[in-house]
Amino acid sequence: MSPVEILVQYWPRLLDGTLMTIKLTLLGALIAAAVSPVFALVRVHAAPMAQAPLRIYVSFMRGTPILAQLFLIFYGSGQFRPLLQEWGLWSFFRDPFNCALLAFALNSTAYQTEILRGGVLGVPRGEIEAAKAIGLSRLKTLRRVVFPHAYRIAWPALGNEVILLMKASALASVVTVFDLMGRTRQVFSKTFDFSVYLWAALIYLCITAIFVLLWRQAERRLSRHIGTRNTPQATAQPLKETRA
Amino acid sequence: MTAPDTIVKAEDIHKSFGNVEVLKGISLEARNHDVISILGSSGSGKSTFLRCLNFLETPTSGKVTVHGEEILVRNGKPQNARHIEATRARLGMVFQQFNLWTHRTVLENVMEGPVQVKGESKAEARDRAEMLLRRVGLQERMQMYPAQLSGGQQQRVAIARALAMEPDAILFDEPTSALDPELVGEVLKVMQDLAAEGRTMIVVTHEMGFAREVSSEVVFLHEGCIAEQGPPEEMFTNPKTEEFRRFIAKAM
Repeated sequence: MSPVEILVQYWPRLLDGTLMTIKLTLLGALIAAAVSPVFALVRVHAAPMAQAPLRIYVSFMRGTPILAQLFLIFYGSGQFRPLLQEWGLWSFFRDPFNCALLAFALNSTAYQTEILRGGVLGVPRGEIEAAKAIGLSRLKTLRRVVFPHAYRIAWPALGNEVILLMKASALASVVTVFDLMGRTRQVFSKTFDFSVYLWAALIYLCITAIFVLLWRQAERRLSRHIGTRNTPQATAQPLKETRA
Repeated sequence: MTAPDTIVKAEDIHKSFGNVEVLKGISLEARNHDVISILGSSGSGKSTFLRCLNFLETPTSGKVTVHGEEILVRNGKPQNARHIEATRARLGMVFQQFNLWTHRTVLENVMEGPVQVKGESKAEARDRAEMLLRRVGLQERMQMYPAQLSGGQQQRVAIARALAMEPDAILFDEPTSALDPELVGEVLKVMQDLAAEGRTMIVVTHEMGFAREVSSEVVFLHEGCIAEQGPPEEMFTNPKTEEFRRFIAKAM
């Protein structure tokens, strides 16, 4: 079969896989995005002893392969099946999608926490003082001053993190989730035609490209106060690490 | 005893950073319409003292009373900490580095306090913000971001932001020290107008002219203590302490 015929015949599966990849990445990133602001504040403000558990968690998540984390949850939960059944959690862990989502959310939370911590540390001290001086409560100071700055500073690095997560989500195929990678492998095992991998690569590339465009638009909006230049004054360094 | 028209009263304020005692028991009372200039060489503790008044620095010990609301501090712990936010809302503050919120427009900067702290409606806050910005001569700049303004303009916005809260008194922390020399005048002019309309002001400054011409009282800090205090004319023509004599000689 020619590469085009492969696509014509198997596009529904690839589309299904693509949607699964997007769903997995987006949900994982969003869960992490909901938790990481709180963790980032703990990392910045809490006493060293109080944040020790968080630091251990972050080092573990950043210091071990995401595949190992996925296996730990997927196969590990099988080991503890009686216990999990007793707690009523087995129905959650039985589903490989849930295991993959949990692994990615836990992993991304660690990275996003550290990225956002950098952002929070970069907020101009004087603007926080001005907020205090006018009588803003702590919560409002966070909402109105600290996080708007922190997200602007952390934005490029956060985008990078989402892209890395999207690519790492291909690992879910190893635990039988039919994401884009899983579907591609399935098609390959039927056709033994490697061109399906090229199509998969192209789709990954498209997802990333569209995401980058959207992210950049948002970055412009976040940075419009900085002046005529579009480049933010201070941005966190993008992470150079790769996942797998 | 507190006089009925006392706005801000600080009693025996001590502040230490580690083993260094920066403030060694300073008391000060600002009555309605007072304009108090606090002078002193760098390291004398004048900015620290001002920041203790609205608890941007927590004193090590002492008592601050604003609008009859007392906050007593012992061993670095305020006894009724929940009054701090209310106290801050009553005291405007203007910083050396302006500290405008750079991600908000000029108008939004001035509206922020009334809307978020006092719970005013946006329309009401906007009307007053526009009026105040006209008064400081920035009606053309309301939709701009702080980064697009000069230092002098930013400081005038900061003054409008403080005024928008309708404070009982305004604290100025070296408001002209970060400005280019040619921009100092426009800020001093606004401050002079505020003094003339009877605003209560406590000003940490290096501007001898302002201290002498505009203020009703001058306080000279030296090594964490009040070395000399009194009406400006008397102090400048007839300094009582050697330190203040030397200080004016250097500044003039």
